[in-house]
Amino acid sequence: MKGEKNMSKSKGYAGQILEVNLSNQDSRYKELATEFCRDYLGGIGFNARIICDEMPAGIEALSPENILVFGVGTMVGSTFPTASRTEVSAKSPLTGLFGTSNSGMFFGTQLKNAGFDALVIKGKAEKPVYLFIEDGEISVCDATRLWGKDSWDTLDILKKQYPGAEVALIGPAGENLVRFACIENGYYDAWARTGLGAVMGSKNLKAIVVRGTQGITPHNVEELIKVSWKARKLIETSPFFKPFQSYGSMNAAMPYGSFKALNANNFSQGCLSDWKENFARPKVEELTHGHIACQSCIIACAHWVEIKEGKYQGLRMKDMEVTPTVSFGSGCGMSLEATVKAAEMGQRYGMDMVSVAGVMAMAIELFDRGIINQEDVGYDLAFGDDDAIFRLMDDIAHRQGLGAVLAEGTMRAAEQFAGGEASAMHVKGLEMPMIDPRGRWSTWTLGILTNIRGGDHLRCRNPIENLRFNENKYDFQKERFGYDQKMYDALDMPDELKAQAIDLETDTVDIAIMSRWAEDLINLFNSVGVCIRPPVEHRIGPTILAEAYTAFTGIKISPIELMQSAERAWNLIKLFNLREGEQPEDSKFPHRFYEQTVGGKMLDEAKVQEVLQQYYQARGWDMLTGKPGEEKLQELGLCNLT
Amino acid sequence: MNEILVIDYNKCVGCKTCEMICSLVHEGVCAQNLSRIRIAKNERAGWNVPISCAMCEKPMCVSVCPVAAMIRNRETGLVTVDEQRCIGCRQCVQACPFGHANFNPLKGLAFKCDQCDGDPQCAKFCWTGAITFEPIELSLIQRRQDTAEKITGK
Repeated sequence: MKGEKNMSKSKGYAGQILEVNLSNQDSRYKELATEFCRDYLGGIGFNARIICDEMPAGIEALSPENILVFGVGTMVGSTFPTASRTEVSAKSPLTGLFGTSNSGMFFGTQLKNAGFDALVIKGKAEKPVYLFIEDGEISVCDATRLWGKDSWDTLDILKKQYPGAEVALIGPAGENLVRFACIENGYYDAWARTGLGAVMGSKNLKAIVVRGTQGITPHNVEELIKVSWKARKLIETSPFFKPFQSYGSMNAAMPYGSFKALNANNFSQGCLSDWKENFARPKVEELTHGHIACQSCIIACAHWVEIKEGKYQGLRMKDMEVTPTVSFGSGCGMSLEATVKAAEMGQRYGMDMVSVAGVMAMAIELFDRGIINQEDVGYDLAFGDDDAIFRLMDDIAHRQGLGAVLAEGTMRAAEQFAGGEASAMHVKGLEMPMIDPRGRWSTWTLGILTNIRGGDHLRCRNPIENLRFNENKYDFQKERFGYDQKMYDALDMPDELKAQAIDLETDTVDIAIMSRWAEDLINLFNSVGVCIRPPVEHRIGPTILAEAYTAFTGIKISPIELMQSAERAWNLIKLFNLREGEQPEDSKFPHRFYEQTVGGKMLDEAKVQEVLQQYYQARGWDMLTGKPGEEKLQELGLCNLT
Repeated sequence: MNEILVIDYNKCVGCKTCEMICSLVHEGVCAQNLSRIRIAKNERAGWNVPISCAMCEKPMCVSVCPVAAMIRNRETGLVTVDEQRCIGCRQCVQACPFGHANFNPLKGLAFKCDQCDGDPQCAKFCWTGAITFEPIELSLIQRRQDTAEKITGK
């Protein structure tokens, strides 16, 4: 297929969206309109609008009607620090709601350089195919020889065939429609959550290979360089910067362990007794070295891991990020070294590590409870039994035996066993991440409940979260601020809202108000394509992003308008979820959190519900149903979806 | 002592900020293929190596240029392209053993590192210390010091 090569005069943006229908191998090129850019920015904003406009209501997620969108963040392909992120969205086969996931590295830069701000994939290919996109042209290629291969082996072949290209692809789990299969972004990264790999598999699409040389022309080169340098200095002066650079995302794991706020053995303990000893910082540092960065990043939070002795000797990869390490290590009771092997398997098979670890932890607990036995599984299951866990992972990826049931995800699998629901740790069908809200209640943990993609912690985090304090005295309403006036002043937030969110007198942060701000801020990051890591979220706000956006694209926008665009996308996704059947009562934690304690603490359902209502109010949504109110929709220029 | 771009590939994390800033200051566009410095990387094996002009004493690009458009300044050692003379034959691109000298299809001209007239932006924006602009003799002193520290453990 050949389309017209776009010699667009767009600044900052590549200027067009590529749409391909795999059913008839047709492709279309759509020019970006300035209003669309201003209203939805890019990344998740584009994805939300495209999906809401073009996807009929109530479709089956694994049917050809599903639409998979790769939306590149606006600032991607520029010098702006950490601008590397691309959002992928579709209807989730796991939750039935808006499925969406964000990843960095270099894919987005290549896609923009190939001429596209977004890639929209519709229909279903007759046989396995992959897409090759280069400088405005797209070909649909036969992928028969790649189907069945794991993602690393597939990458070895495609990277050799297309030097310099970036590849998004699925492994066997995606091919086998495992509901939490992910889309791998190169060897070590992924659009992991909400099962987008299964959507790709359902379309018979193995990989997307992208290579571009077109370049992105900024509106104002000097301003872009100036604002990039300024942003860098801001990020570098965050107190979160150095710890993150040297220790990466594992930073929060230790304090959360001491708060007893980690997922330990399927959320039964808060923290494993040997956690400190086995996952202590010196041990992690012993196994890691060097830094690995995404495009234009000045933090390089990822590290290279090498296991030099023992059972897992010889493993060399980018790893020991908090997700696989805690999900497998604490969640399934595995050793630190074994989590590296598990992460390798997760990547080769192409499965979301949080979800696969979650569903396996449930299975182990059901085994402990005697609800399933050796006959059902084919072997014994136990927390910390590495070999059994690897065997189960393999069964899930290939849908063998009990693996076929677990491949449906925690929510669906639990329905297959009498009493299974009590062990199913998910919110809205998405497996819970590695933090346990009972051990620490905060903006971050309320965010798991309000997240538009379900039980996940990555769309809401207080930009000034203070890990030195963990107090239980605020009736779920507040968390401790714990910083000085300087920290308060430096936070880029409108004054009036800041005064509502942070009370310096009582030294507290209002969880409901801060949650709304943090979600919109992160949604803004996921729209313009910068990273949500704490040093960035702390120091980069709408003011400098508005400067950067205008310098890059030439489109004038104020910080408030920028936040409003992010809020618009969030509300739109909520409308999508409501259209697809989300009910008010779905916004609740697993029963366990209201019934069993960890470290002497548990959640009070009525009080959590009260904070949730305050959050709805802060959003301008109906306090009882969580539906965006008419006034809010009008303010954002949105209509209810039909 | 002449300053040159010194590359310590052990420090490179592969963020490609150098590529972005280079193409931006030279061509007014963010385009890695128009950058004078490039990162060769192997994601699977985990290495990143910045490739820039070595400013060779006997530059192949200068030797093969049929129209004397590739010029080496004897005093500073700097090798640059005279765009008025360049005929876009790509001989320098093929001759460069590092894959550094490159060709701009939009202009029809060869391009290579010019060290930004003495203030290389890649070195300024590189936060890892992988790219520095200094006399190589001085960088070697530091490198020997670093190695010695590792050996002695002090």
